Amino acid sequence: MNLSRVWAVAYKEWREVLRDRLFFTMAFVLPLCIFLVLGWGISFDVEKIPFAVLDQDRTAMSRDFLHRFIDSRYFNYKGDVRSEREFDALLAHSDIRFAIVIPPKFQERLLAGQSTSVQSLIDGVFPYRGQVTRSYVSGIIANFNRQSLAGYLTGARGLSQEQALSRVAPVLLEPRYLYNQALRSQWSMASGLMMLVLMVTPPFLTALGVVREKENGSIYNIYASTISRSEFILGKFLPYLLISCLNILVLWWVVMNVFGTPFKGDPLFYYAASVIYVICTAGVGLLVSLLVQTQVAAITLTMVISFVPAMLYSGLLVPIESMEPGTRFEAHLFPTLYYLRISWGSFLKGLGWAELWFEVAALMLYAVILWVVGYLNFHKRPRR
Amino acid sequence: MGETALVKEPVIKIQGFCKSYKKQPAVKGIDLSVERGEIYGLIGPDGSGKSSLMKAIAGVLSFEQGELEVFGIKVDSESAAELIKARLGFMPQGLGLNLYADLSVEENIDFFAQLRQVTPAQLDQRKRKLLGITRLDKFRDRPMKNLSGGMKQKLGLVCTLIHEPELIILDEPTTGVDPVSRGDFWAILAELLREQGVTALVATAYMDEAARFHRLSLMYDGHILAAGEPEFICRQAQGSLVELSAEPQIQALDQLKNHYSQVEAIGSRLRVFIDNQSSDQAAKTVSNLLVGVDIKAIHASQPELEDAFIALLRRQRLSEQKTNSHTVPRFDKPLLENQGIAIAARQLTRDFGRFRAVDQIDFTVRQGEIFGLLGANGAGKTTAIKMLTGILPPTGGEGQVAGADMRYAGQTIKERIGYMSQAFSLYLDLTVIENIRLYARIYGVNRDIIKQRIAWVIDIAGLTDVTGQMTAGLPMGIRQRLALGCALVHQPGVLFLDEPTSGVDPVGRRRFWDILVHLARVEQVAILVTTHYMSEAEHCDHLALMYAGRVISDESPTNMIQSLQQEAGQLLEITTDRPLETLALLKQAGFNGAALFGKHIHLLALDIAAAEKQIRALLDRQAIRLIDSTIHAPTLEDVFVYRVLALENKERL
Repeated sequence: MNLSRVWAVAYKEWREVLRDRLFFTMAFVLPLCIFLVLGWGISFDVEKIPFAVLDQDRTAMSRDFLHRFIDSRYFNYKGDVRSEREFDALLAHSDIRFAIVIPPKFQERLLAGQSTSVQSLIDGVFPYRGQVTRSYVSGIIANFNRQSLAGYLTGARGLSQEQALSRVAPVLLEPRYLYNQALRSQWSMASGLMMLVLMVTPPFLTALGVVREKENGSIYNIYASTISRSEFILGKFLPYLLISCLNILVLWWVVMNVFGTPFKGDPLFYYAASVIYVICTAGVGLLVSLLVQTQVAAITLTMVISFVPAMLYSGLLVPIESMEPGTRFEAHLFPTLYYLRISWGSFLKGLGWAELWFEVAALMLYAVILWVVGYLNFHKRPRR
Repeated sequence: MGETALVKEPVIKIQGFCKSYKKQPAVKGIDLSVERGEIYGLIGPDGSGKSSLMKAIAGVLSFEQGELEVFGIKVDSESAAELIKARLGFMPQGLGLNLYADLSVEENIDFFAQLRQVTPAQLDQRKRKLLGITRLDKFRDRPMKNLSGGMKQKLGLVCTLIHEPELIILDEPTTGVDPVSRGDFWAILAELLREQGVTALVATAYMDEAARFHRLSLMYDGHILAAGEPEFICRQAQGSLVELSAEPQIQALDQLKNHYSQVEAIGSRLRVFIDNQSSDQAAKTVSNLLVGVDIKAIHASQPELEDAFIALLRRQRLSEQKTNSHTVPRFDKPLLENQGIAIAARQLTRDFGRFRAVDQIDFTVRQGEIFGLLGANGAGKTTAIKMLTGILPPTGGEGQVAGADMRYAGQTIKERIGYMSQAFSLYLDLTVIENIRLYARIYGVNRDIIKQRIAWVIDIAGLTDVTGQMTAGLPMGIRQRLALGCALVHQPGVLFLDEPTSGVDPVGRRRFWDILVHLARVEQVAILVTTHYMSEAEHCDHLALMYAGRVISDESPTNMIQSLQQEAGQLLEITTDRPLETLALLKQAGFNGAALFGKHIHLLALDIAAAEKQIRALLDRQAIRLIDSTIHAPTLEDVFVYRVLALENKERL
């Protein structure tokens, strides 16, 4: 290995990145943009669900019942309707995602000790949101039931309000969410997006860096010279590694300061693991560059093979545990899963080497395989 | 080959070389050998296999069959190829494409030097020298992307030479470069040849560059048609070329076409290739053949390389046979018989930001006239056409077509124009007939006559055999005719063609020009055509030379050459036993225009006799033997070079 040739390629590449406006944007601005757009854009918190009401009872009790929805931060009251038919249009146009119907004689039946049913219409187009809505509704109704039972007991047995309540619900659920106490999806999202952005941009840069030379023919300078394959690959990659290492720091800062996510782990460990991950994902770019001849093809292919697994198989959107066995197996074939664990573990759980060594080892293995395959398939005397 | 041949072992030796791409054969069995110190040429159209062959020799492309030796090393694997790379330089095709656009001239050179492990001291010395020869030293800090085409090409050459290779392989280094830079390029190559004994393998698509080589191979469709010294190849064609001017030209042309398959009209001249006859015989044969035609002048000579190429192709039956008895179909309605001005540019100017692409150009084209806009890549030809067709608004001046200002021209005017753009306007995944039908619809050809019109297009463009074929699979020459057919589908009176024949083989180019000549002479269509082939320019009735956005000369080709002869004299070709020394000697003696063409030296001299006398004396003093000296008429290329240099000199004062 001749270091001066490596340096020649690396320095040339570096100057090109800095001077080519498009490439500069791709290297420094694009990662940040993807990050901010997705970080603010994707939120799994289901709040302010728009809903409308058909109150066929119009009594004090029905109003009390409805106010439990209207006053909740999870729901956004859009008004009353006069007939059930009006719901159809509202739901169809997504003006509301949930409707509740209070039947006639709601108060009368309850006071008479009879049961009654409240009909809820929930928009099920997006199943996750539908299920969350349903659980909110059933929570509010359970609460209402408990209180009315407690009220009955107070009157009938002469118990104090508190005693009555504890009789009604002797076992109370007291959840304490660990790692992300307020269950803010943005914390998880922001720290998880590190995985996504670092999966997408390093291969983009590496693939385009090589394919650009293939497309315009300057790769022949390399082919026709005495530089060795490894010297060229290394020289080509070093500037992009440097850029990605800077990007790790920038994104890290954004996760903590723009999205307010705390970092509980070992910074040195996390940085080292991130660099290994970047080497690994850049290797994907090298492979892409071997397969295609044009920059357009490189962009498309990189997008497909980096974005899709990062979104679907990493565990960012769908927990690995809830995947089908086949899918779960596939998920373990992509490096994204391991780095997401490292990322969440470092930011939210405060884990380090001791707990995450396996994931780091997996990424290393990945990086080695990708680069070795890339190296073996890069030829200075190709067939076309 | 001159004084530099010390070792007799060939630098490149090839036997039975074959190369395919996905089972599509590109090179089909080639034998070749290049001696040390030679400038060896590969001449052939696009797709003839030149690039594949060169890449394989440079060790950057693998191949399936045959043996290849470079510097006596057998190149049969990637690791074997590495062994030769330190000693060779390779410049791939494409003007400056292998350079780095955002790096400056000097940074580009430094990168190549570092890649090639040139020591700083060597680099400093070579850089100074090479930048000096190429006159790039003033532009050291300019980013490569802001260089002109000719400068890019010279920079590419400097970068390829920075490690002082023994063998340089240059793939179409002169394509699209203006004649002045082209001349510079050949001069630099000659100089290096003299100083370092470099061997060069150079590919070109220009037949008229053949004289620059010591030896060459004519390539076509993966084969070598002929190889050897240029004169030898011309002799191999076995026949003579008869040039004549006759009235009426069309009639003479028809009569000749009935008897010979290699006939063309260039401007007012006709050129016929007569097989197996000596010059004198051939001239007689032709004059006896023509009946009812007034022959004004007739002259027979040895064929030039392009004629030889076509004759050889014809003999080996590799080219499609032309149907001789074919009558070309007429327009449905003859164009109005006005001899008026079809196209006029008045002070036409276009700026792109601070860059002036077209600078106050003036010219007029009459109905029935073929007008050539001649210049290098980036001279402003395409921009001028775009303004005249109304695609691009001018910054200043005006362009008129059929008397209407194109800035405000309505649909009716635009329907009278046919335009064939530089980039292919064809849909490659449609068949030939589908493309024609599509264009017929786009141009709004009346539904009642659409079938008839499509048949007309197929007929006039000679596409009868390929109507059902996919466009993507057609050879360049046929695609070009299809594109022309599509531009003619509405039978326009004015036709704009932007570099229609670049990359097309000579046979294809001739068939293309046959159609153009017919359109102009018979249908009175006004044709504006751009080209960077100087040899093609002679087809035009009237020419404008463009350089850096300006028209530097606007006349008929004959007048251009005549006025050059009056101003600068005749072309003297000198052959000596030591051409490189002779060149240096002549330059010292003040013959600045002297240039090396293979083993010969060309120079322009007003007083030929005096010049010859002076040269004889010079050579005698150095004991250089003068083998031959002949007088030629200068070519259009000479005109271009002379005019541009004169312009540059004037600006310097």
